[in-house]
Amino acid sequence: MDRLIYVAMSGAKNSELRQATIANNLANVTTPGFRAELAAARAVPALGGPGLGTRAYVLQQTPGADMSPGVFQQTGRDLDVAVKGQGWLTIQTPTGEAYTRNGSFQIDSAGLLKTGAGEIVQGENGPLTIPENNRASIGIDGTVTAIDVQNPTQSVEVGKLKLVNPANDQLEKGLDGLFRLRSGEPAQTDPAVQLASGGIEGSNVNSVEQLVNMISTQRHFDLQVKLLQTAEQNSRSASSIMSLNG
Amino acid sequence: MMRSLWTAKTGMDAMQFNVDVVSHNLSNVNTNGYKRERAVFEDLLYQNLRQAGGASSQQTSLPTGLYVGTGTAVVATARNFSQGNLQKTDAPLDMAINGAGFFQINLPDGTIGYTRDGAFQVNSQGTIVNSSGYELSPALQVPQGTTSLTVAKDGTVSAVVNNDAAAPILLGQIQTATFINPPGLESMGGNIYKETSASGAPTVGIPGTNGLGAVDQGYVETSNVNATEELINMIQAQRAFELNSKAVTTSDQMLAKLGTM
Repeated sequence: MDRLIYVAMSGAKNSELRQATIANNLANVTTPGFRAELAAARAVPALGGPGLGTRAYVLQQTPGADMSPGVFQQTGRDLDVAVKGQGWLTIQTPTGEAYTRNGSFQIDSAGLLKTGAGEIVQGENGPLTIPENNRASIGIDGTVTAIDVQNPTQSVEVGKLKLVNPANDQLEKGLDGLFRLRSGEPAQTDPAVQLASGGIEGSNVNSVEQLVNMISTQRHFDLQVKLLQTAEQNSRSASSIMSLNG
Repeated sequence: MMRSLWTAKTGMDAMQFNVDVVSHNLSNVNTNGYKRERAVFEDLLYQNLRQAGGASSQQTSLPTGLYVGTGTAVVATARNFSQGNLQKTDAPLDMAINGAGFFQINLPDGTIGYTRDGAFQVNSQGTIVNSSGYELSPALQVPQGTTSLTVAKDGTVSAVVNNDAAAPILLGQIQTATFINPPGLESMGGNIYKETSASGAPTVGIPGTNGLGAVDQGYVETSNVNATEELINMIQAQRAFELNSKAVTTSDQMLAKLGTM
């Protein structure tokens, strides 16, 4: 049988992987701060053997995430923040600093500012602790102020969130869904990054785009299957010509 | 089988859970002192199917790798402890906390429960109890023949007995408690929360001092559920569920195509 079946198979497998990426994006259509994963295909010509270079296999790759901003959702919580425009919030992970756009924070029993998943939020000078009987307020520049609930005129500046803005091509999404610098180094603080408090940023998944991508991927897959069937028919016809009983 | 089937399944699961949370909020839209909950989502782990920088031939390396995400998951339900509306009832034993703090309730198991539901009653022994019959802590006794009962902003409870308005009897003082992290409290049902390691230990004090809200007699605190917001959440969850079910259908059709080849 012609090696066409292997080329078609590589196309079908490519569609299947692309479908997995699209399904992940659709599953995260309501995850705060989620950045849609991009999918791209690349031709890999089969070289080395004799004959004409007519065969090119396909390789599926994820060149990174779509960095466009998501929709701002008003929640009214003091500890919810969204990054305006470009920029990232910093959190601590066992493997160093990581960056996220999901600004739905909590305080734990010790007053430590944490993310919803329990990771410690990184300030410019380390973690931020809100004293007891205080209400936290996060300013436009990331300044965290603790306001005495009893006496609202009394407020203490607890610290400042570490806001960074590295170039998109320096960032990559880790296996935990958080972003880190490709170099592995911590990013520089950028004073120009601004926040909006009282709301969170939604997912930037464009469901229409993903749905259209999914349909097109499905049709692409169907085409590859059709090619496999054609290859089989060709092979059968060739066999019947060779058959003595034809 | 196809990865995308399982990925889309996590999306459908998450959205179903979201609808569960939304419907719980909506069903408690009239519950005294109820605080609304919100499901918190996170993307699940990514699988590294091909490392960026890996060799694509002897001389070249791949500029980008292949990472495939495995879907979404609910990581927490976060309770929003914002103030509910204060509804006037004029009942002398209805109390609402205006600001931070919880009433303390002696639970039958000997521990203390915390609640924002201030619709209290008097039981047959004259003790002030909540709607489930559990005593307010510290316990307060209403004497026989009480004609009127007054709860001050600072929680001081006094009674006028046998119409003797000139000599009201001091019954005691209601103390309220705050937590550094109220969303860490565990919900017991019956409008009662319990202390956990995440909420921290309670700070008990006199209402109206040290950041504790004042007690308003004749009011109950209504639920802080915002029906419009819940409806929007429900629509969003429904559509996201449909999108994920569409992904399941598509993946299934691709598999079916293979099966009938």
